Amino acid sequence: MLTTLMNAEPGSPLPYTDTKLVGAADFYFALNATFRFIERKLGKDALHRYWQDLGTRYYAPVTTQWRAGGLRAVADYWRAFFKAEPGAEVTVEQLADEVVIEVKTCPIIEHLRDNQRAIMPDFCEHCYFVSEAMAQPAGLCARISGGNGRCTQRFSTQALPPQDINSITRCA
Amino acid sequence: MIGCYDFCGHYEWTFEWLRQQGGHALVLDYWEQAIYGESQTHATKLILDKGFAGMKEYWGHTLEHEAAGYQATEGEGVYRIDMHECPSKGFLIKNGLVQYQDYCDHCIGWIGPLMRDAGFVIDHEHNHAGQCWWEMRRTEHATKAGVPGELSGDADVRLRPDWQTPAIDRFSRAIHPDDKLP
Repeated sequence: MLTTLMNAEPGSPLPYTDTKLVGAADFYFALNATFRFIERKLGKDALHRYWQDLGTRYYAPVTTQWRAGGLRAVADYWRAFFKAEPGAEVTVEQLADEVVIEVKTCPIIEHLRDNQRAIMPDFCEHCYFVSEAMAQPAGLCARISGGNGRCTQRFSTQALPPQDINSITRCA
Repeated sequence: MIGCYDFCGHYEWTFEWLRQQGGHALVLDYWEQAIYGESQTHATKLILDKGFAGMKEYWGHTLEHEAAGYQATEGEGVYRIDMHECPSKGFLIKNGLVQYQDYCDHCIGWIGPLMRDAGFVIDHEHNHAGQCWWEMRRTEHATKAGVPGELSGDADVRLRPDWQTPAIDRFSRAIHPDDKLP
């Protein structure tokens, strides 16, 4: 992970940077297929563990930034993140004790729909499992409401009620 | 959310996660079933329907979209790609990301089964430094892989002074990652 941090673009809130400004949307097909494959082969619990491991391991440099920089770092990260995702329509607002992200157009769901791909029903749960795994070690908690193309994501310094998975809208 | 901007990073990370869950066989299944079987159905349709023309259409679009440094060459009964700057491996090198033993195998992991089903075989080498070459021929076409410069001239990646690395992986008339030559 130290190598990773050393290789990040100076000044970028993103821990892994590319020569392109925006990613290639067709990779969203692979995300959808990957989640479905893991659930089919290893089960739902393993899929949750995969998402949590992604959050705590692959995205560990982000957690380090959030722990050091607090909500400002959280807001900076998500602004940079969505700027690099093609087709995202998102607002990121930093408040006194939380960062609120309003996803008006989820770029993944939009692209999968535009290309008539069958979206894994529980696709939007990944946002909770990954984000919570990133947030918790930084002293934050992540909660998601909505889904299926539009949602609200909150990253709070306050203890919030546990995530109700059923409040995350299934994709159709 | 997991994004597409750093896709190659978490994609590569996923290979190693899967290997730890279910070994080499699970990684191979992932490339064949999830990537070839579901993610890349747009490529499959083009190549199954149109053969070489479909390859040209698919890789022309995809490699441009990924900002790759490459050249595609169409010869008599062969479609060749010389990849000089793989955007995918390049991203991993730039960011110092190495979890899985051979990231480059993922390409033949999904392209191999696709070519098998479309009636083609692959000659291929990758040098683990973001450079590789591919030649696709009909299975019944017995011609051997071209020697350096034969098909793509000066654009042949093997003519680069930095092509030779300590570990070049080679495939001959292959359709599967385990067809790698010893």
